Amino acid sequence: MPNDAWGIGASLLRREDERHLNGRGEFVSDIKLPGTMEVAFVRSPHAHARIRSIVKPSDAAGRVFTAADLPRIQPIRIVTQAAGAKSPSWTPLATDKVRYVGEAIAACIAPSRAEAEDLAAAVTVDFEVLDAVVDAPRDLRGSRHLVHESWGDNLYSERVFEGGDIEAAARAAAITVRREYRMRRQSGAPLEGRAVLAHRDHRLDEIVVYASTQTPHTVRVALGEFLGLDLRRLRVVAPDIGGGFGPKARLYPEEIILAALALELDHPLRWVEDRGEHLLTSAHTRDHHYRVTAYADGQGRILGVDAEIVVDAGAYGLWPQGPYQEAAMAARNLPGPYAIPHYRARAATVATNKAPLGPYRGVGRPGACFAIERTIDEVARAVGRDPVEVRMLNMVRPEQMPFTTVGGMRFDNGDYPQSVRLCAELLDLPAVRARQQRGEPDGRLIGIGFASFAEQTAHGAAEFVSRGASIVPGFESCTARILPDGSAVLMVGIQSHGQGLETTLSQIAHHELGIDPARIAVRHGDTESTAFGFGTFASRSMVMSGGAVARASRLLRDKLCQIGAHLLQCNVAEARCTDGVVRGPQGSVTIAEIARVAHLRMDGLPPGVDPLLDATATYEPAVGTGVFSYATHGAVVAVDPETGFVELLDFAVAEDCGTMVNPMIVEGQIRGGVVQGIGTALYEEIPYDERGQPLAGTLADYLLPGAAEMPAIKIGHLHTPATATEYGMKGMGEGGAVAPPAAIANAVRDALTALGNSGAEVNETPITPQRAMAAISKARGIGSA
Amino acid sequence: MTAIRLRLNGSDIADEVPPRLSLADYLRERRNLTGTHLGCEHGVCGACTILVDGEPARACLMLAVGCDEREVETIEGFAGDPTMAALRDSFHRQHGLQCGFCTPGMLIAAHDLIRRGEAGSEHAIRAGLAGNICRCTGYTNIVAAIAEAAASLAGGPRDAE
Repeated sequence: MPNDAWGIGASLLRREDERHLNGRGEFVSDIKLPGTMEVAFVRSPHAHARIRSIVKPSDAAGRVFTAADLPRIQPIRIVTQAAGAKSPSWTPLATDKVRYVGEAIAACIAPSRAEAEDLAAAVTVDFEVLDAVVDAPRDLRGSRHLVHESWGDNLYSERVFEGGDIEAAARAAAITVRREYRMRRQSGAPLEGRAVLAHRDHRLDEIVVYASTQTPHTVRVALGEFLGLDLRRLRVVAPDIGGGFGPKARLYPEEIILAALALELDHPLRWVEDRGEHLLTSAHTRDHHYRVTAYADGQGRILGVDAEIVVDAGAYGLWPQGPYQEAAMAARNLPGPYAIPHYRARAATVATNKAPLGPYRGVGRPGACFAIERTIDEVARAVGRDPVEVRMLNMVRPEQMPFTTVGGMRFDNGDYPQSVRLCAELLDLPAVRARQQRGEPDGRLIGIGFASFAEQTAHGAAEFVSRGASIVPGFESCTARILPDGSAVLMVGIQSHGQGLETTLSQIAHHELGIDPARIAVRHGDTESTAFGFGTFASRSMVMSGGAVARASRLLRDKLCQIGAHLLQCNVAEARCTDGVVRGPQGSVTIAEIARVAHLRMDGLPPGVDPLLDATATYEPAVGTGVFSYATHGAVVAVDPETGFVELLDFAVAEDCGTMVNPMIVEGQIRGGVVQGIGTALYEEIPYDERGQPLAGTLADYLLPGAAEMPAIKIGHLHTPATATEYGMKGMGEGGAVAPPAAIANAVRDALTALGNSGAEVNETPITPQRAMAAISKARGIGSA
Repeated sequence: MTAIRLRLNGSDIADEVPPRLSLADYLRERRNLTGTHLGCEHGVCGACTILVDGEPARACLMLAVGCDEREVETIEGFAGDPTMAALRDSFHRQHGLQCGFCTPGMLIAAHDLIRRGEAGSEHAIRAGLAGNICRCTGYTNIVAAIAEAAASLAGGPRDAE
């Protein structure tokens, strides 16, 4: 097999780049269909209200559509197998009640977006405003107000996770550390918002829906279900996607509404989300609240962790998985990469009058990592040891692998403590400590902090079944086709939303077949041209789709050898396919020559061998519970004790994701994830007021990390190939975003120990100057804000 | 409708536009120049950065009528421009883009930094990119790409890959 500048392990430059560098990428809003009309939505200005009436302008017949005008649309319903979980149905256009600011009420159609917005402004909705539920920890059991009246409380679900004997840990403990942590609500904020373009193709008798989605195949399934259409009458296309990061891995009301309108009307329809709509209505994320009690011995060895987790999940669950996975994932990941013997977590998912919560890079893990990693540092302080030592003391050691944590995660392999050592090296820990001792001329305080995690990736059916998931995304698919000239097409059920799969999947096929990657097309994102697949999320794409490409390529390789052997007049066992050529004991024949026979000269085929070079394969890793990447992140900060401003001076990642197919792309994913994690740590927040009004509606209020505030991010690699996947790959797309909030909070904590006494800590993200100042003032005895 | 005349990517154009049509919508919807991307439509993200009379501008914050008698250049232009050619090459080789949505605005901002001689250090490049948000790359490779293009245009040695 080739081991060259193009195959597995090569930093092959991306084939996606040329079109984007020339402004020729094709995002949904770039697609032009003649006669397209624009859609703008009437949205709720209230967090919680009954709709008394909707009055359309008198001249709006056929231009304003409410739920009553689109009776075909069924309510969105999440089917969950999780015990005791409640699942509200959700009408894509509100009927009797609205439950968050931004909920869609009517769709308005005009030749331009501006005119559609004029029309929306002319629709009058009479509301009876109700009190809003906005405080999940306070209102989960029974507030005076209920988001969904029939429930009797505001709980989507509540589960207790237990392992070992937490009471025994409490009795044996030399020290007890109690803390409360909060990771506030934020947006995924890909630079391209959502967008939908839908039209009816009469020739093919189908509705074509272009959508900025990470999951075209499952969106198609949902559209079929909620519109009552055969799937053969629905085609969903995700063209270039301007970032997804999780929020685009869910079905949205707008997709259903646009498809329904396309069925009714004789022209294409387009809705392009603006940034205000994105911040109001695209899946929000995080919004975790933790109460953690850790029991430890006098050395800092953790005996047990007792936790209460509350996730504020907003008003509805997003299809397909609903609101449940966030809290469950947080609970199962809270024990982190540590060999903690005793554990109990009560995890509640709470309905509030806020936008629905959905996945975002890392899903439940950044919150869980924040809670356990902050706790580790406080345990270390309580026993007077360095957090780095206590972190490694508690970590699962390589010789313990495979190791199942008390949270139920089965780690496969790796040297976790080594990631801590490597990260400390990358940041030159002794030099930072020396600088800290010297003090800064400007009076700022230097701090260094670390956070470690293990990330479940590429989990198969077993994992999703255990979660009670409504659909089980345990495989991916590939149809590999060699064309009559020897060039090839990979048609994959996955979707690439910017991570370069058109490049990396061609590297896999090149590895198996020897065909130049430049002669291999990768087609994804179109339900018409690809076999069913679930799409890109859960750090699964390279392992799952790469595995499917490998298997399909090998099926083709076998057939190439069969035909090649016949042409070379040798035994199949003697034929080998390498470097784009099938070789026998004497002579060789190119894939192009074989492809010509397989298509155009079937008289050259061996007896019993069918024409065509076309193979479809699916792939699920050999272990369904996931393969685990792991990393330690480290941050060096300077905190201004007079303003609370945190400057990030340095950041390092020491990670292990097994075999890297394209190290350049792996490092790009890590750095991009880290900067999103820095956004969570320091900048990004969508606060809601007591009436349920969101307070960040523009990018002037919602701060995204910019180049000027970001350090260059250092990366060090460890290499422990997985045994359960093709080539030893592990998923790694999300990990970058998991640990920065914890590492930075630990660094800020480290800096603020200089304030004396017990110092100050900030246990809430984002660590804004206001929050840091409040902690500093409290430590100085000036009173807290 | 208001009559406008402009020079767009080197061609003279006469057109009629509604007074409230934004320049970005004009370029995208009427001229099919869809490389000018809209990420926020309120002047923060920089994805719609273009050149107006040679200076970077937010196409989302200008009206089409505001570019009457002016020269507009979008990412689809820059034919034969050595700075843009160097930037395209260095963004490709340094992996300075992922989803590609910020890329046209980023390239035009970078082009302006190099033109003004403000791409001489990592610090200067980072400060100069304050008006352009990338959500994918974490900026490290964008900064490296701009530094490399600036160095190559100045005749200096290229950074090792």
